[in-house]
Formats: sequence, structure tokens, C-alpha cells
Amino acid sequence: MKYMVVVFGVVFAFLMADFFWSQGNFDSTLVPGVGTIPDFDHGLHGDSIGLDCAACHTGARSAAKAYMPSKRDCMDCHRLPLTENPGIENLDSTLARAPEHPWVSKSVLPEHVVFHHGVHSAAGVNCTDCHGMKTASGGSTISRNAEAKLAVQYTASKATMQSCVRCHKGETFNDRNFKRAATYCAACHR
Amino acid sequence: MAVAGLLFGCRKIVPDGLETASDAGLAGPGIKAFEDEVRLAMSHTRGPMDLVRVNAPGKTTSATSDNRFGMAIDLDACDGCGKCILACIKENNIPLVSDEEASRGRFMHWIEMRGGIPMMCAHCGEAPCEKVCPTGAANHTPDGISAMMYKRCTGSRFCGANCPVKARKFNFNDAQKLGLARRFNKGVPLREKGVMEKCSLCLHRLQDDRLRFKTESFGEWRGRGVKTACAEGCPRNAIVFGNWLDSESPLVKATSGRQLYAPRELAGLDPSVVFLMGKR
Repeated sequence: MKYMVVVFGVVFAFLMADFFWSQGNFDSTLVPGVGTIPDFDHGLHGDSIGLDCAACHTGARSAAKAYMPSKRDCMDCHRLPLTENPGIENLDSTLARAPEHPWVSKSVLPEHVVFHHGVHSAAGVNCTDCHGMKTASGGSTISRNAEAKLAVQYTASKATMQSCVRCHKGETFNDRNFKRAATYCAACHR
Repeated sequence: MAVAGLLFGCRKIVPDGLETASDAGLAGPGIKAFEDEVRLAMSHTRGPMDLVRVNAPGKTTSATSDNRFGMAIDLDACDGCGKCILACIKENNIPLVSDEEASRGRFMHWIEMRGGIPMMCAHCGEAPCEKVCPTGAANHTPDGISAMMYKRCTGSRFCGANCPVKARKFNFNDAQKLGLARRFNKGVPLREKGVMEKCSLCLHRLQDDRLRFKTESFGEWRGRGVKTACAEGCPRNAIVFGNWLDSESPLVKATSGRQLYAPRELAGLDPSVVFLMGKR
């Protein structure tokens, strides 16, 4: 009987510890502490080893919304020693300290606008056509304005309804032979 | 220790953007208030409609698509229970009205009981409301839906005045500020004060299905498998949603050999939502 009480006590202690521990952890994902966020380099992952955006931004090629990667997505690759570079140890310790969801992205898409990443991807639109890129091929004013900033961070916050409509009407990206897309209001608005 | 905690714990991890409805700032009146309002609205029922025979809706003159969505309400099956009204409220985040307006029978419900028959916007092919909209907020999609672009609406209320069956509802109040609105469905935006609203034929469901279809399937999208909230909520399956131009649509199957009716006021305006009576 005494034995049972001790076992129960230990289990209960684990549960309580886990409860408080996870509470704290959950808070830290909302407001990540300085120095715990890995300094992610898009160029290193994209241009040099050719990872597709959708490899980390799940849904970017298939679903309505593209998501930010969690720490586990990083660890899928980074639990292996990938290079001889001594910096990789720094990275390992940063990742270990990082919260479960190191990056939080708030969508700039208003709720009355419908945008489906997968449909655009299937139609041949590249992520960088809207999200800007340091090697933009021109044609898109969105890319050129934000060129300098977007070397590290990609964003579509400069996109306007005009830039959507111009492409849907076939006025921009003439060299890409996109199919003409719908321009009636209810195609994209609700 | 932490490993043991992991084994025993049931940690809730909520990824960004996957939060549940209860996390999305879902303050608002309880479901009971909406149920009571539906009951109150049913007791305020207006006089019966004068139904006249109409032809089956075909392709509209301006349509560029091979789809024309619509509904048929089987009055032989409908017992006027009003569950469609509640289903519509929950799907489209329709707000409550103040007590004063409720006492005058002015509700925001997109479906109204007229003589015990549920009536909503008929999505007329020749919609008179769209012709008088000064901003183009009321417009027609190629799929035959009379759509309403809330952000374009400046609240002239010309459309409401020109609708022969008064299917449009105007937001006189800021329902969000008054605590009368509740966000049941994250997929439908709440309307602001000074905006006209009406049945959208569950446009958001069609949009979602169209986008899903484009990523998963080939060929022409016909909106198969989509149902409106009222059709889903009807316990007697009296409301049938479908595509008038698709021979495989449940709507075409349910209406073949039946006689179609519409309110006399809009019988000449090519309505997409019709009533069925008699003769199977």
C-alpha cells in the first residue's frame, strides 16, 4: 500500500512538473526571448543547397496557406552533423534553446480576400513572383522596391489588389505565358 | 525528468494559424440567444407568398461559365421548422438585433418565413438590385450567384429598395460594438455598420471547393458535392442545392418532372432559387 502511494506521488509530481513546465514553454513561443531564435539564412538553404520553399513552409505548393516551420522541421535535417563547419555547434545549441515555434508570421491577407497558394503554384507562379527576391527578373514592382530588405526576409506585404489584378488580366509577366485568370469580384472576395 | 514529463503529460501545442474557434477571440452571445431569436422571428412570420409557375433556370445571357448555382425548396417536404434559419446564422455569422428592432420584426436573418415557407434571395438572373447599385458592390458572378462585396458597399440601400421580395438586410447597427455579433464561422467575415447583406448561396463554400478542385483534380469545376448550410441543416432534406446546368447535379435530378414555382414579384426575373410543389 505504501509502495502504491509512493508510485502515485511520483507520477503526480511528474504531471504537475510537466504542467507548469509546459505552461512556461507555451508563453515563450508567443514572445520568444532574444538570442533563442536561430538566425536563419534563406540564401544558404535556398540558393546554395536548392531547398524548395515548401520544404519548410508547409503548404506553399499545395494548400491555401503556407506555414512557418517549427523547430522540429529544422531538426529533421539538423539532428545530423551536416558540415565540418565549427559554427554548426553554435547552431545546435541555439536550436536546443529555441522555442517550439521560433518564427511567428501574421498573415497580412485581409479576411475578405481569398488567396490559395496551391492554385497559384499549380498555375506556374513562383513564390518569388509575389514574395520578392534579390534576383528578381524585373516586371514586378513589388520585388524591385523591397529588393534590399528581402535578401534575408521575404514578404508579400507590399502586394496590393492592383498587383493581383494586373497579373490576372495578363498585363504583367507577359514572358511567362500564364493563363488569363478570373477578374470578377467574387473570384477572390467574400 | 523532462522525458518523463513528456511521457506523462498531455501537452497542447497549437501551431500558428491552427488555433481553434475558441481561441480566435470568439466573444459573443451564446447559441441560446440565437435560437430564441429564430423562434421570435418565426412568430413574426409575414403573409404568404403568391407563388406562380416558372421554367427551370437555364444559362443566363451574361454568363460566361457552364455553371449556374441555385436551390430548390420542396414545399411538400418542408414543415417550416426553421432549422435552416439557425444553420444559416451559424454559417454566415449573422448578428442578433436589438430588442427594439426585434419587437418590430426587423431581423438580420438571411432566411425568412413567409407564410410558413422559408424564403431567401432568389439570385435572379436579371437581378434588379444589381442594376441600381452605385458602387458595383452588388454584382453577378459567372456562376449565377448574385454576390455582395461588403467592402465596396457604401450603404445607399438602393438595392434593398429595388428588391421585389425584400430579401436584403441592412446593418443599421454596429453589431460587433453592441456585442450582438458572434463569430461562429471563421471563413466568413463579419459585416460592418452601414453595409447591405443577404443570402450569398454560401459563396465561401463554393470558393473553397473551387480552389480545392483546382489543386486536386482535372477538368471543369461543376461544384459537385457542395451544399449550402441551410440544405445541410434541413432535417427533411427539403432544400436541394446544385448546379442547374449540370445534369448530374442533385438539383437537376430533384427537380426533373416537378413543377417549379417562384414568388409572383420575381417570376419574370429568372430566379435561381425556386420552390417545388405537387406531382412527383
